[in-house]
Amino acid sequence: MKGLRGISQLSRRLYAAQAAPKVEFAAAAEPVKFRPQEVQVTKLPSGLVIASVENYSPASRIGVLIKAGSRYETPDNLGVTHLLRLSANLTTKGASAFRITRGVEAVGGNLGVTSSRENIMYSVDCLRDHIDTVMEYLINVTTAPEFRPWEVADLTPRVKLDKALAGQTPQIGVIESLHAAAYKNALANSLYCPDHREGKVTSEEMHAFVENNFTSSRMALVGLGVDHTILTQVGQQFLNIRSGMGTAGSEAKYRGGEVRVQGTGSLVHAAVVSEGATAGSGEAVAFSVLQQVLGAGPHVKRGANTSSKLAQAVSKATAQPFDVSAFNASYSDSGLFGVFTISQAADAGDVIKAALAQVEAVAQGGVSAEDLGRAKAQLKAQYLMSLETSEGLLEAIGSQALVEGTYLAPEAVSQKIDAVSSNDVVNAAKKFAAGKKSMASNGHLANTPFVDEI
Amino acid sequence: MATRAPAATGKLLQGFRKWYYNACGFNKLGLMRDDTIHEDSDVKEALRRLPENLYNDRIFRIKRALDLSMKQQILPKDMWTKYEEEVHYLEPYLKEVIQERKEREEWSKK
Repeated sequence: MKGLRGISQLSRRLYAAQAAPKVEFAAAAEPVKFRPQEVQVTKLPSGLVIASVENYSPASRIGVLIKAGSRYETPDNLGVTHLLRLSANLTTKGASAFRITRGVEAVGGNLGVTSSRENIMYSVDCLRDHIDTVMEYLINVTTAPEFRPWEVADLTPRVKLDKALAGQTPQIGVIESLHAAAYKNALANSLYCPDHREGKVTSEEMHAFVENNFTSSRMALVGLGVDHTILTQVGQQFLNIRSGMGTAGSEAKYRGGEVRVQGTGSLVHAAVVSEGATAGSGEAVAFSVLQQVLGAGPHVKRGANTSSKLAQAVSKATAQPFDVSAFNASYSDSGLFGVFTISQAADAGDVIKAALAQVEAVAQGGVSAEDLGRAKAQLKAQYLMSLETSEGLLEAIGSQALVEGTYLAPEAVSQKIDAVSSNDVVNAAKKFAAGKKSMASNGHLANTPFVDEI
Repeated sequence: MATRAPAATGKLLQGFRKWYYNACGFNKLGLMRDDTIHEDSDVKEALRRLPENLYNDRIFRIKRALDLSMKQQILPKDMWTKYEEEVHYLEPYLKEVIQERKEREEWSKK
């Protein structure tokens, strides 16, 4: 019996081992022509903006962006956005936490949430065939969360973990304290739950925050590799939940201050900034070009960073290792521009002063045509490369749809960058030099100057 | 006549339930029905989710009942839990826990 079965298998195997007939690929598959598509934007009467682009990718990505970043927190509900970030997979009215996680996993998808000071973005990605399933979870998470008190209470260890991990990176600490020093309100709020609110953010506070901030007019639904009409239908049907503007956030007030955090180790991380440009303004482009003129980080891995004006200037001031780059952050009603330095504790003062002196030099008109051309090329390349990844593209489309309700094509952005003159750059540098400074430093601060000494 | 029948049964059923509630006897120790459920893992999870005031009330009733039972006493009659005042305070939480467990079991069967 066994032998017989063996023979039958053998014959099958022999058959399978035959060379497969060659398929004439060229003849078999008439190449399908995919026309490149423009980004389509629809604005519903409720204010919800729906933007999508068909990129013919096998993987689709959908995001919901909401103007509900940490700047909309009030002193009474600080830390809510950190909890919201962590509670993206909690039970909703339509699906349990278990179902959301397993459902997304089962189709090989991803459900993610990121939040900044301005926006919070929920996004899902998965293979094109499963987008309906995953979109359902996304809609559930953004429109019908339950925030069950015990599930929220269980997040406290994760809040602590997040903060401990952030504490490992001095850069995060410096940027957080920089915002706290620079602003009186709104943008001063940290992205992380403050210590005194750990474990105290309640489910009612989260519900109230969602109720007041997740309104249709402050949302954008963005899709990559999805049909625009389908996405519009979904938006009309499910995301038209709360009309109105919700609670208006307070306008950020720049104050200029200093936060020093003494720490161990031999390094000093420091940032010195003035108020910069608001996002979307013409000035903002000039500031971005200025950032590239001064140097926004190494462009060659482990390179000497010689094209950076800041690095050139600082290397004359110290023989010790250092890192210096220009810092630029734009928000809807304010911005910060300055320099970020990492140096040995003993040289901190020299490094910071040399970096600031270099910005002064640019403000005196010291920007050559060559530097300007390089900076523009770097900025354009950086912007265009960021659109190459689906995350970057989704965020670019989404944040523009949210703020302006339209999408500016990359060509238009390139033109804006080209239009920046050396005069604009010098003016931006002058604005920095004249502005009231804010400073945040972290590390061994014995030789770090105070903000009034620089 | 036929239309009145359900109401009559309802009343009769109510009467029976009330009699049964009193016959069980836990009300004489000041307990509620949900205080007497056997604590398996589902109930434990439901108890964890109980709002704090309900949980504290429950613990108070159970402690009082233990004390009474040790002393071989019952409460004075005006302090007995009444059938009309009975609240199934744990039921919604317990139902949810069981539903979640069933959902997990269904999923792992697939």
